Amino acid sequence: MRNKGKMLGALLAAVVVAGFAVSAAAGAHQADPGITKTSITVGGTFPLTGVASAYKTIPAAENAYFAYVNAHGGVNGRKIKFDVLDDAYNPAQTVPLTQQLVEQDKVFAILGSLGTAPGLSTWGYLNDHKVPQVFLATGDSYWGYCQKQVCLGSKHPYTIGWQPDYPAEGRMYGKYIAKNMPNAKIGILFQNDAFGKNYIAGLVQGLGGTSQICDKEGFAATDTTVTQQVLTLKGKGCDTFFIVATPGQAIAGLVTATKIGWSPATFLANVSNIRPFLLVAAQNGASLDGVISSSYLAQMDKTSLAGPKLGRSIIQQYAPALLSDWDLGDSNLEYGMAVASTFVSALKSAGKNLTRASLETALHNMNIKNNPFVYPGMTIKTSAKDGFPLEQLIMTKWSGGAGGEMQPLGKLQTVGH
Amino acid sequence: MTRPPLSALVAGAIAAAVIALLPFAISDYHQALFAQVAVFFIAILGLNILVGYSGQISIGHGAFMAIGGYTTAILSRDHHTNLVLTMLVAFVLCFVCGLLLGLPALRLSGVYLALATFALAVSVPQLPLKFDKFLGGSGGVQSAKTVSHTWLYGVSWLTAAILFVLGWLILRGRVGRAFRAVRDSEVAAVSSGIQLPIYKTLAFGISAAYAGVAGSLFVLGTNGFAQPNEFQVILSLQILVGAAVAGLGSLWGILVGAAFVGLLPTISKDVPVVGSAHGQDVVFGLLVVLVMLLLPQGFAGFLGAVKRFRTRPDTP
Amino acid sequence: MAARLLSGVARPVNGLLLAAAIFLLIGSLKSEIFAQQTVAGVAQGAVYGSLALALVLIYRATEVINFAQGELAMATTYIAYQLIQWGVSYWLAFFLTLAIAFVIGFGTQVLVIRPVMHKSVIAVVIVTVGLFVLIDGLVLWKWGGDLKFMPAPFGQTVYHWGGVAISRQDIGTILLSIVTVVLLWALFQFTKVGLGMRAAALRPAAARLVGVRVDWMLAIGWGLAALLGAVAGLMTEANQFILQPSLMQAVLLYAFAAAVLGGLESPAGAVVGGVLLGIFLNLIGQYVHFITAPLRLPFAFAVLLAVLLVKPSGLFGERRVRKV
Repeated sequence: MRNKGKMLGALLAAVVVAGFAVSAAAGAHQADPGITKTSITVGGTFPLTGVASAYKTIPAAENAYFAYVNAHGGVNGRKIKFDVLDDAYNPAQTVPLTQQLVEQDKVFAILGSLGTAPGLSTWGYLNDHKVPQVFLATGDSYWGYCQKQVCLGSKHPYTIGWQPDYPAEGRMYGKYIAKNMPNAKIGILFQNDAFGKNYIAGLVQGLGGTSQICDKEGFAATDTTVTQQVLTLKGKGCDTFFIVATPGQAIAGLVTATKIGWSPATFLANVSNIRPFLLVAAQNGASLDGVISSSYLAQMDKTSLAGPKLGRSIIQQYAPALLSDWDLGDSNLEYGMAVASTFVSALKSAGKNLTRASLETALHNMNIKNNPFVYPGMTIKTSAKDGFPLEQLIMTKWSGGAGGEMQPLGKLQTVGH
Repeated sequence: MTRPPLSALVAGAIAAAVIALLPFAISDYHQALFAQVAVFFIAILGLNILVGYSGQISIGHGAFMAIGGYTTAILSRDHHTNLVLTMLVAFVLCFVCGLLLGLPALRLSGVYLALATFALAVSVPQLPLKFDKFLGGSGGVQSAKTVSHTWLYGVSWLTAAILFVLGWLILRGRVGRAFRAVRDSEVAAVSSGIQLPIYKTLAFGISAAYAGVAGSLFVLGTNGFAQPNEFQVILSLQILVGAAVAGLGSLWGILVGAAFVGLLPTISKDVPVVGSAHGQDVVFGLLVVLVMLLLPQGFAGFLGAVKRFRTRPDTP
Repeated sequence: MAARLLSGVARPVNGLLLAAAIFLLIGSLKSEIFAQQTVAGVAQGAVYGSLALALVLIYRATEVINFAQGELAMATTYIAYQLIQWGVSYWLAFFLTLAIAFVIGFGTQVLVIRPVMHKSVIAVVIVTVGLFVLIDGLVLWKWGGDLKFMPAPFGQTVYHWGGVAISRQDIGTILLSIVTVVLLWALFQFTKVGLGMRAAALRPAAARLVGVRVDWMLAIGWGLAALLGAVAGLMTEANQFILQPSLMQAVLLYAFAAAVLGGLESPAGAVVGGVLLGIFLNLIGQYVHFITAPLRLPFAFAVLLAVLLVKPSGLFGERRVRKV
C-alpha cells in the first residue's frame, strides 16, 4: 500500500507536468475544437428513453434540419454534425456523456440538451471549459439570468436557453384570469418540483395574489395516475383547472376531470400543448373544447405559412419515419426545427472565422425576425444585457372537439421574463 | 483468511500497479470513467461485507450512496467544507444510518429484508423533493467546489485501496469470523457465544459507511451535483449485480465486478448490436442471469475453481 | 386453498375489516368526495391486488419474491400492444397475451429459477433482479421508450350515482380482478393441478412421495403469476391511458406493500391488502396535507416496514413459529 501511495505521488507530479505540456500544445492550435474548414461538430444529451422520452423527436427534427442545411451548402462552407446521446433524464448520466462529448468527441458546443436537472449538472463544467451550452430545452429562468449574475456559486456566461421561461408563461395566464375571469376559483394540478413551482410563482404574480387559488395538488414526476388529486380539486369546489404537467400526467388529468363529471375552464402549461397527446386524451374521453394553452411556434396545420411548409418537406426528405408525427401535429418536431434554425442563424452571424468566442458574441446579439418556425411576427432577440431569446407568446384555445386543434386566442403578447 | 496466498498478493500488486500507472496511458475523459469503477468498487466491497460475509441481503444500498452524496454536496454548499473531510463525515453518518437500519433488520431475513431495503432505496430519493429547502428539491444541490478528473481518479482509487485494506483487516479478525459464523448458522453462532444483534447491526453499519463514501465520490464525479434522479432504484440493483458478478463472500473478484458495472455500458457502445440503443441493458441482464446460473460464486468462484484445478491436476 | 382463503382471515382481522368497512361506509354517506375517493381507490387497489396476488403465488410456491414481476407484466402489456398493432381486436389480444404470459412465466421458472432455486434466497433474488434489467432492456430494444397508446377496453361511459362518478373502466377493472381471483380459487380448489400445486407448495417432500411432479407444479405457479401480472399490466395501461416502459414500476412497489400488508402467505390478504392500500392512499392524499406527492411512496413503505416489524405475517397470515 505504501508503495502505491508513493506511486500516486509520483503520478500526480507527472500529471501536473503533462498538464503543462498539453496546455502549451493547445495554445499553438488555431481553431477551437469541433471546427474544421468543412465541418462543425456539436453534441447534445436528450432523454431518448425513460420518463421524459416523449421529447425524443426534438433532436430527430434538429438533425433533419441540419441535414437540410448541409445539403444546401452548410454554414459558411461547413457542414454541421450533431451527436445525440441518451441520458434518460438522469444527471448521473448527463455528466459523463457531456464529458464524452467535450473531451472525447471534441464537440464545438453543446446544443439543445433537455431538462433542468441535466442542465444544472453540467453547466458548471461547461462554463469552466468555456464550452458554449446553447439553447437548453427547458423553460427555467437560470439560463437567462445567470450569464451576468452569480447563480449557485458562479456566473455562467456560456449558457443560454431558448424558449420563454415558465414564470413568464404562468404570469400571462394569471393576468388573463384576473382580467377575464375575476370570479374563477383556480385548482392547480402541478408537478411537485422546481418546474411546477416556478409556474405557480408566475401565476400568482399575474393574478396579483393567491386569493383566487382554491387549491393546489401536487404529484411526483414518477406518478402515473393523478386521480386522487383531480378528485380533491373538484371536491374543494374549484371551477378552473390549471394543469402544470408533462404530457403523461397532463393526459391523465384531462381525462380524469371529464370522467368524474367535472367541467372546469382548463388551462394547460404549453410543455404539454402537443397535439398528438391531446388527441389521445380526447380518444380516452376528455373533452378538450375550450382548453387554453399557449405557443410560440407557427401553427403546423397552416400549410400556407412558410415554416410549416418547409418543415414538412424537410421531415419528408430527411426523416420520413416521422412524417406521420408531423402530420398529427407533434410540435416537438417544429420546436426542434426552430431551435436548429436559430442555431444556424447564430453560426452565420458568428462569421467565417468561427470560434467559441465569436459564437458567444453572436448569441448575445441576436435579432432574428425571419425564423419561419416560430409564430409569425415573433422576434428572437438578445443583447449583452438580455439572455432570453424568446419573450413572446400567443395564447391558444382548443376547438373542434375530439379531432380539433388549438387556435390562436388574441394577439401575440410580449411576456418578458 | 488468516493470510492471503502469495498468488493473491501478486495479483493484487499487479492490479494496484496497473491502476496507479493507468492515468499516464489514458485521456482525461477516461480517468473520470475509470474513477467511476473505483466508486463501484467501494460500494460493492461494502455490500459484499454485508451480503457475502454476514449473510444479510440489501437491495437498497443506493439509498446510503444518496445519503453520502448529499452529505458531501450540502457540506460543501453550506460550509465550504474540504471535500475529503466531507467523505469522512459521509462515512460516519452512513455508519450510524446503517446501524439504525440494522436494528429493524434484526427481525427480518431473506426476502423480507430484501423488501424492506428495496423500500428504502425507493423512498430516500423522494425525500429531497419533500424537504426541498434544505435538500434542494428537483433542482439538486451543487457543491461549492468541483474536482478535476485526475483528482477524482487519484482520490477514488486511493480511498478504494484504503477501504479494501480496512475491509480485509476487519474480515480476517475476530469480527470477520463472527460475521461468517452468523452467516453460516445463526444457531451455531449464538451457541458459541456470539452476540447476534451486535454483529448483524455492525455489518450493516460498516457496509452502509462504505456505500456512503462511494456516494460522496459518485457525486464528486457528477461535478458535485446531487439530484434525486441520480439515485434511482437501478443504482442499488447495479451494486447488487456487481457484487454477484464479483462473487459473494470473497474479496478477490471485486475489481472485476466493479469494472463490469462501471464500464460495460460505456465500452459496449461501439460494439454492433450490443451498442445499439438498449442492447447493453439486454447484455447486462443476460450476463447477470448467466453468471448466477453458471458461476454462482461469481468471478472469485471462477478463480477458486481454476486454482483447485491447478493444484489437483489428477482430477479432470 | 379454499379453506385457507377463508380461514386465513382470522377472527380479529374480520373485526378489523368490518370496522374499516363501516368507517368507509359512514364516510361515504357523509361526504361525496370521500365516497368518490374510496371508489377510485378500490379500482386502483384492485390492480395493486392483482399484482400482489402474483407475488404471493410465487412466494407460496418457492418462498422467494420475484422482483421482475412488474417488468414481466409490463413486457406482456407490450405484447398485447403489438398484437393490436397487427390488427387483432383488443379482447382477443387480451386473452392471447394471458396465454403468452403463462408460457413466459412457466419458461422463466424452468430455465433460470429452477437451477438456482435450491442454492440460496439471495441467489434467486439476484437472478430476478437480473431479469428485471434484462426485460427492461428487451422492451426498450424492441419498442423504444416513447409513449404508446392502446384502445380503451371498456369504452368511455361514466355512470353517476348520487354525485359519485364511476367509469365503466373502473367497474371493468374491479370485476376483472374479482373474476381472476375466483377463477384462480376454483383452479386450486376443484382441479387436480390445483390440488397438486397446493401439495407441492405446502409439503413438497410428501407431495413427491404421492406422485406429484413438484417441479412442474412450481413452474405452473410461475406461469399463473405471470398471467395475473399481465392482467394487472393491461388494467394499469387502461387506467393510465399510456403505455411506457416504466408502466409497472410504481405499481410493483405498491403491490409489495399490499402483499406484505395482507401477508405474503395469504392470497386473500394480497387482494384485500391491495384494495385497502388503494383506498388508504387516496384518502391520505385528500385529507392529510403533510403527506404530499413525494411522500406517498415513502409512506407506503413506512406501512410496509411497520407491518413487517409488528406483525410480520401480515393482517391475514397465520402465526408461524418460523422467523421471517
